[in-house]
Amino acid sequence: MEEKLRGLKEELTKKLDEATKEADILNIKSEYVGKKSEIASILSSLKDMSIEDKKKYGSLINNTKKEMENLINQKLEELENKNNISFDDTVDYEVETGSLHPVTIIAHEITDILKKMGFTVVSGPEMESEYYNFEALNVPKDHPARDMQDTYFLNNGMLLRTQTSDNQIHAMENYSAPLRICAPGRVFRNEDLDANHENTFHQIEGMVIDKGVTIENLLYVMQNLLREIFHEDVKVRLRPGFFPFTEPSYEMDMSCLICGGKGCPTCKNSGWIEMVGSGMIHPNVLRAGGIDPEEYTGFAFGFGLTRLAMMKYKINDIRVLNSGDIRYLSEFNIK
Amino acid sequence: MLISCNKLKSHIKNPEDIDWLNIWDTFTLRTAEVENVEVKGNKFDNVVVAEIIECEPHPDSDHMHVLKVDAGETEPIVVVCGAPNVRVGLKTAYVRVGGHIDGEEIKARPLRGILSNGMCCSGRELGISDSHDGIMELPDDWCVGKDIKEYLPIDDIIVEIDNKSLTNRPDLWGHYGIAREICAITNHELLPLDILEIASDLEDLDIVIKDNNLCYRYTGLKIENIKNNKTPLDMQIFLYYVGMRSISLLVDLTNYLMMELGQPMHAFDARVVKNIEVGLANEGDTYTTLDGETRKLTNEMLMIKNGDKYFGIAGVMGGLDSEILPDTTSIFLESACFNAGSIRRCAAKLGLRTEASARYEKSLDPNMTDLAIKRLAYLLKEQNPDMVIASNLTDVYPNVLKEEQIILDKKTLSNYMGKTLEDEMVKKILEKLGFKVQVENNFYDVTVPTFRATKDIKIKEDLIEEIARIYGLENFVPKPLKLDLTITEHETIYNQEYEVKHLLASKYDMHEVHSYIWYDTETLKELNIEKKNVSILGKEANNILRDDLSLSLMNIVKENFKNYGKFQIFEIGTIIENNKNKRVLSIILTDNEKNLESIYNEAKKIVKYIFKVLKNKEITFTSNINELDYYDKTLGKIINIENNKIGTLNVLNKSCTNKLSKKKAIVTIDIDFDKYVKLNKDTILSKEISKYPEVELDYTIILENKKYEDLEKVLKTFLNKLIKNYHLVEVYENKYLIRYTLGSDFKTLEQKDLQSFQEQFIKHIKDNGLNIVE
Repeated sequence: MEEKLRGLKEELTKKLDEATKEADILNIKSEYVGKKSEIASILSSLKDMSIEDKKKYGSLINNTKKEMENLINQKLEELENKNNISFDDTVDYEVETGSLHPVTIIAHEITDILKKMGFTVVSGPEMESEYYNFEALNVPKDHPARDMQDTYFLNNGMLLRTQTSDNQIHAMENYSAPLRICAPGRVFRNEDLDANHENTFHQIEGMVIDKGVTIENLLYVMQNLLREIFHEDVKVRLRPGFFPFTEPSYEMDMSCLICGGKGCPTCKNSGWIEMVGSGMIHPNVLRAGGIDPEEYTGFAFGFGLTRLAMMKYKINDIRVLNSGDIRYLSEFNIK
Repeated sequence: MLISCNKLKSHIKNPEDIDWLNIWDTFTLRTAEVENVEVKGNKFDNVVVAEIIECEPHPDSDHMHVLKVDAGETEPIVVVCGAPNVRVGLKTAYVRVGGHIDGEEIKARPLRGILSNGMCCSGRELGISDSHDGIMELPDDWCVGKDIKEYLPIDDIIVEIDNKSLTNRPDLWGHYGIAREICAITNHELLPLDILEIASDLEDLDIVIKDNNLCYRYTGLKIENIKNNKTPLDMQIFLYYVGMRSISLLVDLTNYLMMELGQPMHAFDARVVKNIEVGLANEGDTYTTLDGETRKLTNEMLMIKNGDKYFGIAGVMGGLDSEILPDTTSIFLESACFNAGSIRRCAAKLGLRTEASARYEKSLDPNMTDLAIKRLAYLLKEQNPDMVIASNLTDVYPNVLKEEQIILDKKTLSNYMGKTLEDEMVKKILEKLGFKVQVENNFYDVTVPTFRATKDIKIKEDLIEEIARIYGLENFVPKPLKLDLTITEHETIYNQEYEVKHLLASKYDMHEVHSYIWYDTETLKELNIEKKNVSILGKEANNILRDDLSLSLMNIVKENFKNYGKFQIFEIGTIIENNKNKRVLSIILTDNEKNLESIYNEAKKIVKYIFKVLKNKEITFTSNINELDYYDKTLGKIINIENNKIGTLNVLNKSCTNKLSKKKAIVTIDIDFDKYVKLNKDTILSKEISKYPEVELDYTIILENKKYEDLEKVLKTFLNKLIKNYHLVEVYENKYLIRYTLGSDFKTLEQKDLQSFQEQFIKHIKDNGLNIVE
């Protein structure tokens, strides 16, 4: 009996090996495991066998039948999966992508970092009143910044804002203290255009007001912000600066990334690059925003997003940024 | 500004304790940014005093001489020299053979056949003056053979400080103020200046100030019998090192004082001075300044007048007729203080920014004028022991600037610093900077010196800055802000702008551009479009602010057509409409003329997509009768949301498009982003899915002289409870393929249901006068 069964299996295997068409295999299937197949008749003869033989051959016959069915099904799947489609699978096309403006990318990166520190992103108007751009920011009437030659004054008595600091006052008025805001935005200065100068560029402003905010907090936020932006252990130093809207005021330098602080042409051999203007918010500015300087202190900072984008992406002509020239801009795929 | 360390040393007690080369990094952190530190005098060596003992013309040259010089050695040395001022008995600077000038070794070499052993040199060759008229003329009493560095302050360190970082520090525009800072930084003592006290037993000069608000103080002094007008060599070197030209003792001394104290001064030839009046110029008058330029005056310019004639532009520049001449022996000294803003505006208007005006516009201390005169008189007397003071120190000073007190409470100081400083430290820091400090229990009573009071120090926070910087900003430890879990109000504008930008760039492969807030005048002219809107004062071109974002991008469109046949750009930017700021999203699609239909429909899809995905809202388009004639009259659409206009879709008209590029099509979308931001995103609710299968049926309807909107009306009026939805699949010529999705919530649809639907639908279409392909 065993021999017979083994013989059937071998016979089937051989036939299957020769078969190439689905129809042939289906014929083989009915021949070897169908109702009229030999194995079927052996199986049906089982009931006439002695109890001993039933025990002896029962499972063997059943298993053999299953194995034979499996062999057939395997062969069928094999045939099904045989790939008859032929095309050039080595073809490699370029993908076309859109682009975000480099300033948008950098602004998003920075606001993301500031959001992690609990800052809210706000925005302000580009056409601004003298009050918000100068007066409320403690810029006196006689200050050079208020001269015609630096500011675009408009024929309706307004001006194009020269800095994003106007957002300080708007934010204080809208949200009051305590406050953590940042405000990326476009600003305007009456400049002649060249590779390094634009009359239209982007800045970001940051401001924190709370009880007990100190110079040390300012230092912490700045250091970590720059570190996150450049993904490097950037050294930061504060040195005295002067801005009407902060007191004390600080210029924040960052260790030069080109030479690592050793001195090179980029940092004019000083090892440092001037990055951020900052300081503790001037009491007059807090008052202008309706906040009591005896109760609250705060710090503010601002820096050029355009400049940062140029540094980070090594753009050496600022005019590219407002040119709308797709040849340059298309490099900045979406991040 | 250039600073000489030798000069600083002269104002400080025990200056040798200070590392003058390396102090400047600290100075940057404490006071102001140092841009450069240059060591002087290390480019030459072996230059000694030598006397010319013989001087013969060179036989083979028409200008050279053969000299024998005594350089302190046993034998005279033969030197060939081309300078015109050689003469027997002259003591000069001589470089020995083997010595160096400007880093180059001097060798014995023949000049026109005669061996020259070393050379005699000019001030310029030594890098200590720009004079190259001849070899140096040294004083007779100097010893031959001695290194000239022993006599002259040639070894020096010259430091360049960034002027911008001194904007707010009028007291630092002279060496004395810098020396004071160095003393505070290094805990040294500042020495007082030597001055000449002037008795008041003579007559006052005739000085009148017409406008007290523009001229705060005018101090004058007349000095006679000045015979020596030769500037000592060490002063010449100092002036040269800090960037000034040596002219004559009298002129040099006024410059020296400006470099020392920061006080600009002027010396007039006393022969021409009648009476001095400080007042405004007459509009339209002209005046010729020292540099020979004739300048037009306005009635806002402050002038020094002598008798009835202009004598100088106050605080900016003097005139030719009062210049110190070689035969001047008596002078009228001016030391004055003017209003900073007035000087700044005057200098800016004249385009004449001088060392004096740069200082005056920083708000100088008016209490410095008399000190400067007394100091100048002292220095002048050293060179002219016989000079005669010929007038009182005449001082017109109507409103004396007095010292002010500021109360600095200790709590505020600690609040800002994040730490509490010892009283001793606070007191020492402020006193070294020139403040007077009274320490009380809870506060410091601080008296501000007037040299810091004109601009810089007004409130207690200003004092905190002083303390913090000298304490050392690098000594602060960065500390995070304390945990605060208050929910803050959030503005979503920025995020929503980014969301849209990201969508357009990533899904539609568009490029984000940035442009200007004003129209490009050239482009408007080219397109023959006239725009009226808010404009920038004093700007000739590109001065009209934009009120149509898409139109303002047309110069960018034009430029890109030079490199691309088709492209898609967008910007979210500000326009000015009805005198107000407004944010707008502009999308521009371009292609060849024949693809207009395709980009037009694409534009519609993009708008629908933005609102559907980001706001979960449906928009509709309605026809727009365009008032803007640069857009196509018939193709303009208004974009509506819930029956309110939120934007427009336009096609730039043919003639404008042709001016940008031939045979192109330009479709523009402008969406009011202020409105967009305010739209709530509709909540997405879960939808029940019928457990019975749905069936799709397609119908092709033929439209003759009709549009899809006509068909849509007909479709809308066909009501049947089996309809789940329907939509337009495609349009081919005048054939519109509509796909209906049918289904029931109660049963699986049978053939007879579909049959009956079909019959009703075809009837409905035909009843409405349309043709359908059966």
